[in-house]
Amino acid sequence: MGWGVATIYLSLMVLVPLAAVVARASAGGLGAFRAALGSPEVIATLALTFGAAFAVVAVNAATGTLIAWVLVRDRFPGQRLVNAVIDLPFALPTIVAGLTLLALYGPKGPLGINVAYSRAGVLLALLFVTLPFVVRSVQPVLLELDRDMEQAAASLGASHGLIFRAIILPNLLPAILSGAALAFARAIGEFGSVVLLSGNIPFQTEVASVHIYGQIESGDTTGAAVVSVLLLALSLAVLLALNALQRWGRRYDG
Amino acid sequence: MARRTLRGLALGYLLALLVLPVGMVFARAFADGLGPVWAALSRPETLHALWLTLAIAAVAVPANTVFGVLCALALVRHDFPGKSIVNAMVDVPFTISPVVVGLALILVYGQDGWVGSWLAQRGIQVIFALPGMILATIFISIPFVVREVAPVLREIGTEQEQAASTLGASGLQTFWQVTLPSIRWGVVYGVVLTTARALGEFGTVAVVSGKIAGRTETLTVLVEDRFQAFDLAGAYTASLLLALLALATLFLMNVLTAREEA
Amino acid sequence: MAITVHRVSKRFGAFVALDDVSLSVPGGSLTALLGPSGSGKSTLLRVIAGLEPPDSGEVFILGEHVTQVPPQKRGVGFVFQHYAAFKHMTVYDNVAFGLKVRKRPKREIDQRVGELLRLVQLDGFAQRYPAQLSGGQRQRMALARALAVEPKVLLLDEPFGALDAQVRKELRAWLRRLHDEVHVTTVLVTHDQEEAMEVADQVVVMNHGRVEQAGSPRTIYEQPANAFVMGFIGPVNRLEPNGMTREAMIERLVHYGFEVRVDLALEDGERIWAQVTRDDAEQLELERGQIVYVRPSHTRVFGP
Repeated sequence: MGWGVATIYLSLMVLVPLAAVVARASAGGLGAFRAALGSPEVIATLALTFGAAFAVVAVNAATGTLIAWVLVRDRFPGQRLVNAVIDLPFALPTIVAGLTLLALYGPKGPLGINVAYSRAGVLLALLFVTLPFVVRSVQPVLLELDRDMEQAAASLGASHGLIFRAIILPNLLPAILSGAALAFARAIGEFGSVVLLSGNIPFQTEVASVHIYGQIESGDTTGAAVVSVLLLALSLAVLLALNALQRWGRRYDG
Repeated sequence: MARRTLRGLALGYLLALLVLPVGMVFARAFADGLGPVWAALSRPETLHALWLTLAIAAVAVPANTVFGVLCALALVRHDFPGKSIVNAMVDVPFTISPVVVGLALILVYGQDGWVGSWLAQRGIQVIFALPGMILATIFISIPFVVREVAPVLREIGTEQEQAASTLGASGLQTFWQVTLPSIRWGVVYGVVLTTARALGEFGTVAVVSGKIAGRTETLTVLVEDRFQAFDLAGAYTASLLLALLALATLFLMNVLTAREEA
Repeated sequence: MAITVHRVSKRFGAFVALDDVSLSVPGGSLTALLGPSGSGKSTLLRVIAGLEPPDSGEVFILGEHVTQVPPQKRGVGFVFQHYAAFKHMTVYDNVAFGLKVRKRPKREIDQRVGELLRLVQLDGFAQRYPAQLSGGQRQRMALARALAVEPKVLLLDEPFGALDAQVRKELRAWLRRLHDEVHVTTVLVTHDQEEAMEVADQVVVMNHGRVEQAGSPRTIYEQPANAFVMGFIGPVNRLEPNGMTREAMIERLVHYGFEVRVDLALEDGERIWAQVTRDDAEQLELERGQIVYVRPSHTRVFGP
């Protein structure tokens, strides 16, 4: 009974709408896709979206691991509070995130830094919304990590740096990749936080989601569907690659 | 010492990226004192937006809770054809751009859409109206209850349920008296996360609502609308409400986690 | 003396793990630290290794004062109860690790790893991952890894604790043979008195963070220093120290193959046990419920 309900609900809610997007995109035929791929604005938008997502994911891989490390291996007052703060990007509406970043790092910001209407603004917004993913992915793995391995390495003469590089990091890699995949998927499609901060300047700071929004507003649903399908297909490819990388990283798990 | 450097870097990053910006909302909202905030709050469009946001959540959250529990049960306890597809489908709302979701819903439920055209003939409007916004909110908050309950179900195993059935309990009785109580924390977390997401959704609702002021603006859409209208006070006030809701969610989750561990 | 521990103390919060412990381990010997859980034996081993700093006291390895020296520089080989295998590296890379840290040339590493894998009977397993090995194999790999860098002392923390009884017995004997071949000063922590007695040259019995007695297995068994040591080494019979013959009823006969354990009950209800060979049991026609007569032949008396 349960699975019948589940399947119907999901089909109605998820499958059918997605199919509609693919159908609309195909309604324009191959010509529509060629037109989209030939449009410099679309290319620029996709390039910026993917470029920004990759950049942000790379930064997150480092900062996420660092933050997870400090939360797990360090002890300081207020640690529990810091741990709770990590989830803020999950809880805060994206539009509010954009507004707050604009308030602090925009034209009227108190710090004198202004990243509004620039690519740096796009990156900043994406860094905000993707912050929790790698941290929350790495934290449990770090907690469970067998300290004996590190002590064995120490008894064999390895320095702290080597222990981190040769012992800890390889064992964290699957978790880092998994968090990176989630962060990537989020960054690709992010809308609310970017829309205020970037100024949505075509060829400069217009990300895919904003472009699609513009197409919907102007009634070009076919064009919107085409770019959506391109976006989905490309991000699926990246996610599959990351998945394969993860499985390769787990190959020694026997 | 390396330890302090790492700690400093991590905390500094969090401060610059998370804490200070969110602090700005409070600073800016109250920049000119309590007066403008109160004025903005009591404006009809703000109150309507607040009411609308809560009303939508009041429908979406229970729907997704019921679905979530059933779906988790199905995924963990049963094998059926297409199970892996269902499993993947659950995550889709998480991974798709909200704007694309909005587009998808328009294509299906809009005036010319697959289902929408049929409904329009009967005078039912979905897109640019409340039903569409509810659908949108349901869509984007589907995963949470499922993903919180499924691991709990997996972990507790079937032994308790089997014990109950050997003692004579029917399926329904077992569900209410054995299964549900043992997954209650998963359900609670799922509900809190679903609610937070439902209250805070922007992109999908923005596309699907038409942003008709005073009619189909949720709090999040109101923020953008006020910003574009150069009404910063209004924008910050609405943001303030949403930020408070977000902090309340975080606080609640932490309290609940602590209580569960106790 | 290869290892000297001088008046080491260590507490964890309110718990006293080591209480003014002093110990000497002769070079080339195999010493067992024997005791129940919480006796401090693992803590002592880790203090010697440098994995745990003592609160007070000193540690010397081969005459060098190493109390402040980190584990990287002490030249100790350490083997953990749960193997601590580098699960993301092959067996080869595991064993080669210490040599790579010391930047030995590839050819030397190749040769040494090959030697060691043959020594621990894992040749042919070089390219496997630890997850593909059995527990016993993983522990042999861990030993090879520790021996690769020619440590001054080899420290083993309940190395066979996570293994099946049969594997444990085999590896125990194998370890002794290995020691006879390789002659590294070895300290072994165990809670299994059979293991300690079988394998060690010197047994150090510990309890509540203190050394109760240190000596050869024979000395420990025949001349226990106190009631704890005696009780820990084997099941004890407690009797009045008057050497009299007592009447007892056979409650149970347990056949262990060549030996038979006889569980007896004295007239006052006290329970004792005796051990006879199978032949003796047959000759005496021992049966449940029989009345027999027992007299202690050796007693040790411990004061109050």
